[in-house]
Amino acid sequence: MGIKTYEEMNELEIDILKEIGSIGGGNAATALSSMMNAKVNMSLPKVEILDFNEALVNVGDPEEVVAAILVEMSGELGGIMLFILTKEFSDEILLRMLGKTKEDFFELEEIDSSVLMEIGNIVISSYITAMASLVNMSVELSVPQLAVNMLGGIMSVPIAMMGQHSDRIMMITGKFKIDGKALNSNMLLLPDVESLNVLMKKLGVE
Amino acid sequence: MEKKISVGIADMKMTRQEGILITYALGSCIGVSFYDPMIKLGALLHIMLPEKSGAKDGNVFKFADTGIRETLRKLTAFGGSKSRMVCKIAGGAKMFEMKGNGGLGNIGERNAQNVKRILMAEGLRVTSEDVGANYARTMLLDVTTGNVYVRSAGKPEKML
Repeated sequence: MGIKTYEEMNELEIDILKEIGSIGGGNAATALSSMMNAKVNMSLPKVEILDFNEALVNVGDPEEVVAAILVEMSGELGGIMLFILTKEFSDEILLRMLGKTKEDFFELEEIDSSVLMEIGNIVISSYITAMASLVNMSVELSVPQLAVNMLGGIMSVPIAMMGQHSDRIMMITGKFKIDGKALNSNMLLLPDVESLNVLMKKLGVE
Repeated sequence: MEKKISVGIADMKMTRQEGILITYALGSCIGVSFYDPMIKLGALLHIMLPEKSGAKDGNVFKFADTGIRETLRKLTAFGGSKSRMVCKIAGGAKMFEMKGNGGLGNIGERNAQNVKRILMAEGLRVTSEDVGANYARTMLLDVTTGNVYVRSAGKPEKML
């Protein structure tokens, strides 16, 4: 297709991205499910092309403290994958994995951080593995990093990376449900424009 | 409650006499406050990247260089004087311990360095700053007094 900005994507291309998000998200939900020994579903993915401030508001209150695991993608598909967990979601994980919750998000012990990091790592890599094999592209992942801080500050990282050449970012998002309970979490896949071109070409979309 | 004016990402707002300019959760971005105490003219700029690279990009407030220059141009047009202008900066954090060579890890630091360099080149003085570390900051400029406040999650609000 040869697009230069996200806005140039047509409906068919957006649908393809939704499908990719759905397969990646489904795989991630399965991985999370077996780790937590619970029924985990993922919502239908959304593909959104938003300006920076819309993107931020779309994810939540900028000052809310969240935990986030970030992985940089490189190789044939470049961009960022971010798994954002609100306190209620992280508490649910810690409760199920370690039998406890935290009063204060800033007082995570090393074991708590490693559990969140590991969950994030597995969820993200299952998502990307499913996606990469579907589209037959090789994707390298960076070592995952965990941050617990204001949502706005966390979102500034992908926004700055994607914003160098564009005033908008594209996010493929999905939310998890654990045992039927909708706990606020967000999986964000942010591919760069260049990779979208490679992706569509591989899938034979002209 | 005083009038609050919110400044988004890659955005700048200015006001005179009264009101509070606020920008939320600066991560690797930098907030730059400008204040001319004589005429109580204030501006708050939220930049995202150190330098404008592509020529066709429309939003000047996204970058430190073009953002600072455009803000100063507007402030001057409203009667602000560079010689009286007081500048303070906050942000430029490293939210994630990124390894590798993507340049993403130290974007906050590069932002901070460039903002300071450009302000200095414009002959402006940065009277105080709260930059770096690994946490996000919300920055407020009270235009009535010229006071600048910074708040972070889990830390008490402080005056810059």
